[in-house]
Amino acid sequence: MLEIRAASKTFNPGTPNELLALQAVNLTVNDGSFVVIIGTNGSGKSTLLNAVAGSFCLDSGAIFLAGADITKWPEHKRAKLIGRVFQNPFSGTAANMSIAENLALAAYRGKPRRLGWPLRKHLVSQLRDRVSQLNMGLEDRLKNPIGSLSGGQRQALTLLMATWLHPEVLLLDEHTAALDPKSADQVTALTDTIIRRDKLTTLMVTHSMQQAAYLGDRLVMMHRGRIIQDFHGAEKQRIRMDDLLARFEEVRAPNYSTRAPPRCCAACISDKPSSIIIAPTQAK
Amino acid sequence: MSLLLGALTLGFIFSLVALGVFISFRIFAFPDITADGSSTLGAALAAMLLLHNVNPVLATSAAFAGGFLAGTLTGTLATKFKINGLLAGILVMTGLYSINLHIMGRSNISVLGSSTLSTYAERLGIALARVHNLNVMGWDITALEASLLVASFLFIVLAGCVMYVFFQTNLGTAMRATGDNNEMVRALGVNDENMIILGLGLSNGLIALAGAFIAQYQGFSDVQMGIGMVVWGLASVIIGEALVGTRQLGLSITGAVMGSVLFRLLVAIALRLGLNPNDLKLVTALFVFLALIAPGLLKKLNILKLQSSHA
Ligand SMILES: Nc1ncnc2c1ncn2[C@@H]1O[C@H](COP(=O)(O)OP(=O)(O)OP(=O)(O)O)[C@@H](O)[C@H]1O
Ligand SMILES: [Mg+2]
Repeated sequence: MLEIRAASKTFNPGTPNELLALQAVNLTVNDGSFVVIIGTNGSGKSTLLNAVAGSFCLDSGAIFLAGADITKWPEHKRAKLIGRVFQNPFSGTAANMSIAENLALAAYRGKPRRLGWPLRKHLVSQLRDRVSQLNMGLEDRLKNPIGSLSGGQRQALTLLMATWLHPEVLLLDEHTAALDPKSADQVTALTDTIIRRDKLTTLMVTHSMQQAAYLGDRLVMMHRGRIIQDFHGAEKQRIRMDDLLARFEEVRAPNYSTRAPPRCCAACISDKPSSIIIAPTQAK
Repeated sequence: MSLLLGALTLGFIFSLVALGVFISFRIFAFPDITADGSSTLGAALAAMLLLHNVNPVLATSAAFAGGFLAGTLTGTLATKFKINGLLAGILVMTGLYSINLHIMGRSNISVLGSSTLSTYAERLGIALARVHNLNVMGWDITALEASLLVASFLFIVLAGCVMYVFFQTNLGTAMRATGDNNEMVRALGVNDENMIILGLGLSNGLIALAGAFIAQYQGFSDVQMGIGMVVWGLASVIIGEALVGTRQLGLSITGAVMGSVLFRLLVAIALRLGLNPNDLKLVTALFVFLALIAPGLLKKLNILKLQSSHA
């Protein structure tokens, strides 16, 4: 179980650029729950995931994962419990190292690195096995540098790496946003398959309303460093893309206050463009 | 002939510097210039211990340990204290200058007369070959020269192999990945700061080892001898990359050794042809400068060519 208690983070405190990125966010995620997080640009979605991963320390609040208080743990120590896929396909893999070496690094996630040999026979055959399940023909290219692969292939492998050793929580931050539509669909399908198969507790940030509507069993919406909406169970299953688009329009209106009552309407979005992606972000 | 043998032997010894620089500059992309101080540290430690009749193997090992410590210090300054990597190296290098003077007690000490790895090698060579002078194709070679060449060659082969195997273990793989993508490595549970510290330790350990060998080869240690070490190492690595490419770890290691030997041969030839020894460092620096900007220049030339062919 992941429990975020009153997590707050202010960037550049005391300067004109002061930014309340997280404002006392509470979120409890049950084991095996797949939470999709949406929100306007700069609403704090990535900051929330980074807080869990330990990229920075919280100003106040606490984070519990698998029964441990990890609030003060450094990033590399938390990695024992956490699998992570970044938005940028270049961030999740070591480009100059081979596919096999990258996967082997992930197979030892959170374990001490000593003088043992990583690419033992049984690990290599296991690698080949799991990579061939991706149906990308990569099993015959295990010795090739991972930098020679396409973004989609790299994200698929990063996903495989992040979930190799059943993580207590899987963090996905717009991991399909930098991909072409076809690769994005492929990686999305793979994500869903792996998460269901391994019953992984997951936090997934996305800008795709389609993903938000059809993936996961819970939907959380963020705005200005707060969680402003939280759909569970049947309510989540009923949500349509149109409802989400409408909700976005609402919070973006200049007179919106975070205390306004939630309201869903499908009618007011008739003039929306057909694209299902709201405000796609560019890969850095 | 002895000029050639000397150049080859020095080339092999200096390969340790090339391998060290390869670890810091290439594997970790860390511009570590501690080497100028740590190579002298190795020479100073070995020379001092030899003068006190310490076993040469022990004295040389102590040099490695000293260099290792110096490297970890630079790594600690750069990671735990967030000091710019170049500056961290400069700080340690500058501090080492005083330490080296303290170790030696003066700026130059001789180890002639003590038993060293060189005298060991010579005795072993004579015992094995049962002659004091060889004649190869009409050239007279002393047993000392031949033994040193063979010994330094064997040692560098051993060091290269150990390094090749090490960088494929779990620890070595994690170190290479740290240089490639430290964000990813942290997400996989590796303490990237410790990897850098350990990597710089190994790098400077090898470089100090080279310093210890040089002191025993030339028979003295000098507080100035480390100046330019980084640039020499870098020149060797660059020549190696031009010779064998950068695709594979094994090739890169072999290339660095070949680069170092070739570089020493070129230096010997240049000196023979009348290059003023005082100009050696300037010429080396110019060479590295040219090698560093050459790829960019070639690209620009190609673009210009393309543009003119389109026009
Ligand atoms: N390291 C940082 N230093 C300063 N400000 C930061 C930092 N990281 C994030 N911010 C700011 O905090 C706010 C929240 O950022 P965050 O990246 O969490 O938003 P997001 O919801 O992920 O947005 P997007 O949809 O654009 O990815 C933004 O205004 C951002 O500029
Ligand atoms: Mg974001």
